[in-house]
Amino acid sequence: MKVVAQRLGQMILVVLAVTFLAFAAMNLLGDPLFNILGPVAAAEEGDPNYSMVVEARETYHLDDPFVVRYGRWLGDVATGDFGRSFKNQQNVRTILADKLPVTVLLMVYAQVIAVVISVPWALWTASRAYRLGDKVSTVVSFGLLGIPVFALVVVLFWLFAVRWEIFPTRFDDADLGSRLWSLFLPAVALATPLIATYQRLLRTDLISTLQEDFIAVARAKGMSRWHVLFRHALRPSLFSMLTVFGIQTGALIGGSIVVEQYFGIPGIGRAVIEAIIRDDFPLVLAVVVVVSVIFVLVNFLVDLLYSYLDPRVSFDG
Amino acid sequence: MAKVPGISTDLGSNQVVEVPADLGDERSVARQLGWGFWLCAGWLALVVILAVLAPILPLADPNKTAVGGRLEGPRSGLWFGADSTGRDVFSLTIWGARISLLVGLIAIVVGFLVGGTVGILAGYFRGWFDKIVSFIFATLLSFPALILAILITTLLGRTVFWISISLGILAIAPVGRLARAQTLVFAEKDFVVAARILGASDRRILTRELLPNVVIPMSALALLGMGIAIVAEGTLAFLGISVADGLSWGKQIFDAGSRATDLQNGPHAALFPIGVVFLTVLALNYAGDRLREVFDAKELAF
Repeated sequence: MKVVAQRLGQMILVVLAVTFLAFAAMNLLGDPLFNILGPVAAAEEGDPNYSMVVEARETYHLDDPFVVRYGRWLGDVATGDFGRSFKNQQNVRTILADKLPVTVLLMVYAQVIAVVISVPWALWTASRAYRLGDKVSTVVSFGLLGIPVFALVVVLFWLFAVRWEIFPTRFDDADLGSRLWSLFLPAVALATPLIATYQRLLRTDLISTLQEDFIAVARAKGMSRWHVLFRHALRPSLFSMLTVFGIQTGALIGGSIVVEQYFGIPGIGRAVIEAIIRDDFPLVLAVVVVVSVIFVLVNFLVDLLYSYLDPRVSFDG
Repeated sequence: MAKVPGISTDLGSNQVVEVPADLGDERSVARQLGWGFWLCAGWLALVVILAVLAPILPLADPNKTAVGGRLEGPRSGLWFGADSTGRDVFSLTIWGARISLLVGLIAIVVGFLVGGTVGILAGYFRGWFDKIVSFIFATLLSFPALILAILITTLLGRTVFWISISLGILAIAPVGRLARAQTLVFAEKDFVVAARILGASDRRILTRELLPNVVIPMSALALLGMGIAIVAEGTLAFLGISVADGLSWGKQIFDAGSRATDLQNGPHAALFPIGVVFLTVLALNYAGDRLREVFDAKELAF
């Protein structure tokens, strides 16, 4: 348990550093007062608008030293208060509650598609390694890895929504079914690079696992090929794929910004772009917090999963 | 081989020890890379040459509208057709390559210079400096790259220079981490220990012993990194937050591919630049991968 506690401490430290960096960047390089008030911010003493400047300074505590402001913000966040958006004074927590679910749905959807396709594909290629099917797969996988998400969304949209009209062109929020249906193309676009990454890694690990004695024993006992592949070879081969699964969560967050923007999905990725362009500090910071916490948590869970996959890996060791 | 009296290469039995004529790989590096590499290199050279020569090539002005008809298909003289405002898609693609390639190049140079230097220093001196650097790398890596890029570009400004710098900052942590890890390995090797015993200064060990062994194999990763940087710039441009008034592949693809009616009537305006981006990124990935294999460099975890 000591190691788990240590990892947790490390995680908190990283989240603190990330938020501090974002807080510092937004405060030192931008002018919060200007973003709240617009041109009025330039008003000096004696100007009729000067009272607004004083008032804003007081409500947002802009005269306090930078570190004090960061501390206050952190304290608020710890109690679940992300402040109010500069844009329309809307509570940031409401915005998050409103936009986060669809983004999370999209990301989980993409990961599910990626795993469902890549695992059987990797099993198939590993079981016939270096034969024709495997060689073709390697080329296809390499090609998939080279398509930028922003190019892929256009191609998928053109083929399946415009040309063949299989999928709707807009996000449909009616119920879960229509949500999943209209999110299919976006999720596939997000999943494509993941499919290729997972397939490559899992194939390599599977090929080395299949050389082990216990596989030969299982085959010699008369177990079927697929039984051996699924029940014996898969689990000990999942390590690299799992590690990358954690790391790729970060890439997925980036990809979902592109996908949400292009397909008009009202998620957190779209909101953060608008917020950054408008220098809406509270919203940007809230998203940075949420995103880095998700990222760190997923990677922590991946670490925990290692010991499940291979009991020899122990946190107490 | 003339027999030296008294010394027999015969080991008693019929076994004769054969000493290979050349211990190194007989095939030249160029041959080892294979024809696929040279095909990719050829494509990249073509794109780079066209991009560099764009101002003196007989191309239509990429910003001039009504060069062709609205969404006119490809024909001779208008090889990639025209977009929805009648601009020459071929000319747009060539001009777009200039910014995309330049940003990719500067970004990877910044990443290698800063990340490589800091990584080697951290791996060599260890101690508190290493702890701080490693923590900074971990922090940078747990930031979703695109959000960091958007944040930096918004704060610094949307010029070619700042976009490149911000993408370069993204490359620092992955490059630096690898440089540090490699330095840790090499710092323990005999030749470095020997240099130290001979009284070489830290500076000499760093520049003469470690730099060539750590950075040169890593430079094989520069092509892969450039591919990533080009995609990142394309993504920013696609989102409308890259170089403010410049032409870029990402922007061109967004302009031509964001309206369903345009895609319906003239998909070529989006598909040609998409094809060029795809082939370029693929060529960078493949060529980079081959170089990495031949130079046996470690993989870069972005």
